[in-house]
Amino acid sequence: MTAVLDRPTGSHHSPAPAALPERLVPGGLALLALAGVLVLATRPGHLPVLLAACAAVVLPVADLARRLRGQLATARELEEQRRDLVSRGRTTADELEVATRMMRARAQTMTSVIDAVTEQSIIGTDRDGVVRVWNPGAERMLGLPRAEVVRIRSITDFHAPEELDGETGPDPAPARRGANRFAALVAVARDQGSDVRDWTYLTADGRRLTVSVAITPRTDDDGEQAGWNFVGTDMTEVRAAERLKDQFVSLISHELRTPLSSILGYLELVLDDEEQPLTDDQRQYLGTVERNAQRLLRLVGDLLFTAQVDAGRFTLQPEDVDLAAIVRASEETARVTAAARGVSVAVAVPDGGLVVRGDALRLGQACDNLVSNAVKFTPAGGHVTLRLAPGWQDDDGRVTATERPGCRPVAALSVSDTGVGIPAGEQGRLFTSFFRASTARRNAVPGVGLGLTITKAITTAHGGSLDVTSAEDAGTTFTMILPAG
Amino acid sequence: MELPARVLVADDEPDIRLLVTLAVRKAGCTVVDSVGDGLAALAAARAEIPDLLVLDVSMPGATGLEVCAALRAEPATAGCRVLLLSAGASPADIARGLSAGADAYLPKPFPVAGLVAQIRALTSGVRA
Repeated sequence: MTAVLDRPTGSHHSPAPAALPERLVPGGLALLALAGVLVLATRPGHLPVLLAACAAVVLPVADLARRLRGQLATARELEEQRRDLVSRGRTTADELEVATRMMRARAQTMTSVIDAVTEQSIIGTDRDGVVRVWNPGAERMLGLPRAEVVRIRSITDFHAPEELDGETGPDPAPARRGANRFAALVAVARDQGSDVRDWTYLTADGRRLTVSVAITPRTDDDGEQAGWNFVGTDMTEVRAAERLKDQFVSLISHELRTPLSSILGYLELVLDDEEQPLTDDQRQYLGTVERNAQRLLRLVGDLLFTAQVDAGRFTLQPEDVDLAAIVRASEETARVTAAARGVSVAVAVPDGGLVVRGDALRLGQACDNLVSNAVKFTPAGGHVTLRLAPGWQDDDGRVTATERPGCRPVAALSVSDTGVGIPAGEQGRLFTSFFRASTARRNAVPGVGLGLTITKAITTAHGGSLDVTSAEDAGTTFTMILPAG
Repeated sequence: MELPARVLVADDEPDIRLLVTLAVRKAGCTVVDSVGDGLAALAAARAEIPDLLVLDVSMPGATGLEVCAALRAEPATAGCRVLLLSAGASPADIARGLSAGADAYLPKPFPVAGLVAQIRALTSGVRA
């Protein structure tokens, strides 16, 4: 096959036709002999000789003819094979050309896709970190043209070295320093197949950028590792905005808490001054001031807590907590407000308590939120019922009172009211920050829409779930399921 | 007659400083000085060697945590009791305060009665 392809495809020379005259030589001699016999046969009296001669000649001639036909057939066959090979060679050459064109087009597509990315840096390196691909996004982000980087620089040249040297500092041997830094850069991606995190890039003009870099290994056609890909997004401004938000929230928190500390502190001094007792009216007015100051304080706490949840900086202090005690405490907290509104609150908890693993302060906050909501949204004459019971939850989330195989022990807390309810279409958004149901706004129920967001975040952080069932003008039930035992 | 315990008050917020001063008096103690920044608190503590310091955590000059750590490092002031007040109320804030060497930590806003009780507890037994 390869020998055929090596020959110029336009040539008609081939081994088969060249050998043909040589093979015809014995056949030619036989024909001469036959002609001699025929000449002799035309003479009278020579018939017996002629017949004998004929017998002697005809047999070799027939044999010759047969061989001749065989040789001709072989020649034709070889010629066909030659043509076939030539045409197959042409086809293969065509296919190769098409494949090459496709490869080129595909590479062109890849290059044009990579080149069209100007906001993300796409950097490809070989296995040792030497840059092989440097897209316009990388040129723009790091300030160096492709020609000055590809095959010349290592990716680690553009990283803040202190992030790669680790706790032991730079390797004292300059020869090993670069290799160690590159190993540190791809360590997680090598272990886990990919790695996305923030790194500090150093630009040509000396700026430091916070870049979220996705690192993945790159393989060649045989599945061998050929190098590494680094796709980076400049997060410098985003991270700065996040830091600003954090600073803002903690500043607000501090700046609001400080005056509230003064208001509440001096109020307490006035209210508790035994030497100058207040009149009942004064006591009532100052009580209103205190209640509102406490409300502001809760709001500040809720805002700060929501910001912590958003930033993923919300941590639990787990201990064994008796949920029954928490539910009873929430009822006590809500009792005065409920009585003032003409709403009754009933509590049903297990006599022996119900212990879960969790953060007592946060679980108390979650329970308080549900109970105060229930009281707040229930008109005079209505009822709020707090029910705590142990249960068993299967893999589909169903909870039953009796143990079944494959079920986990849980604590189920439900807070039901006979209040204004939540329209079905709004129930999905209930746990979104600052969302307020239309029934809440229509009935002028005070609030900012953080309580349920916080309650949900606390429940989720405990590995539990929070669900709602509600009918407008009939009531609402929130059910909190927490892992127990 | 038993001498009242001597207390140093430091908070950059004048209203809170006065509130704490009133609480110290309610607890039956004497206010030896009240200052508005951390460096002044440190200087006053070295001069007065008070029985108790009531320190705000976030103050200019030096934070309450820094003042507390500095007092603990000096033999003359290492025995002073320290009560930290702070707007930071998270368990991490409290842990930081106690690991700086504070004897007690009260998040703001604090009930005045609670502060009075803390001051009494921290000064009981001293000067007896």
